[in-house]
Amino acid sequence: MNIKSTRDPRDEARKQIVRRAQELGKWETEVRKGGLGLAVLAILWPERLYGLEILRRLDSDAGMSIPEGTIYPLLSRMKAEGLVDSEWVEADAGHPRKYYRLTDPGRRRVREMAQSWRAFAQGLERLLAPMDGDPK
Amino acid sequence: MSNKAGMAHLDTYLDQVRRYLKPLPKSEADEVVAELRSHVLDRMAGQPTPGQVEAAIAALGGPREVARFNLTERVSAEVDEDRSPLTVLRGIARLAGLSLYGAFAGLVSFAGYGIAASFLITAAVKPFARSNAGLWRTPEGGGSYSLALGVTSHVRAHQGQELLGWWIIPIGVGVGLILGWLTWRFGLFSLRLMRRSAQRSRA
Repeated sequence: MNIKSTRDPRDEARKQIVRRAQELGKWETEVRKGGLGLAVLAILWPERLYGLEILRRLDSDAGMSIPEGTIYPLLSRMKAEGLVDSEWVEADAGHPRKYYRLTDPGRRRVREMAQSWRAFAQGLERLLAPMDGDPK
Repeated sequence: MSNKAGMAHLDTYLDQVRRYLKPLPKSEADEVVAELRSHVLDRMAGQPTPGQVEAAIAALGGPREVARFNLTERVSAEVDEDRSPLTVLRGIARLAGLSLYGAFAGLVSFAGYGIAASFLITAAVKPFARSNAGLWRTPEGGGSYSLALGVTSHVRAHQGQELLGWWIIPIGVGVGLILGWLTWRFGLFSLRLMRRSAQRSRA
């Protein structure tokens, strides 16, 4: 009996499900990446935070889990653009932490980004509405 | 004991990151390294054991990768501010040591600007050194020959044949400018490519 040559249709179906999930995952990653800058600035709206706190909030509030080493270059770029400011603070933890806060131009920018994001999301929502309750 | 070993492990990692960050000014590299150190220590609950340090480092990425994220982003920010050929070339040179493509882009850029400069210099010198500046074709024996561009010695000038005469001036200026422009565009393209590749690993 040659097992290799017989194709189990259940195997094929399983592979297809995995492939579809991977494609969807890729698309989700792209969408989230597009919102990353807005998410980081929005997280800083109420208070100053340090890098690891920003990463944790991204993960817990927005489900955006990014490699940890990439948050600092992003913050450094935002600083170069004048959107955020940073300062070293001697913490109780026994080592200094670098805190980031929004600057005034940063606040203006995140407001504009939020407006544009909401307008986009509302438009998309209208396009998705016909799908609700339609069994097609 | 384990505390010390953990800290030593962290220091080794940070030293490696610093080595890859050499193209940055020292103060900026110090800042990046200090922030990474603070990040790793914040991730520790209590004693930093080698195992905990290892886990934190794995989450951050390898030294070369972390340096690549930082340098690529910084160079892109600089080039967004100022797209002049010198800034682009400096950016390319900074990233050359961090990836195979970076090394390739560095090589092409230096060769491109080098050849462009040779054409321009030859064209500029021609009016003052009529018989020594130009494009020379010199027989090397066995039917082969070599081409030499630039300002050459009397001996070589007498052995070889000058190909362009006064035409070296318009041709040298034209070729030099076009090649320089192409190299500049290639540099901008390469920086965009390397940034996209660094961002892809961010997703």
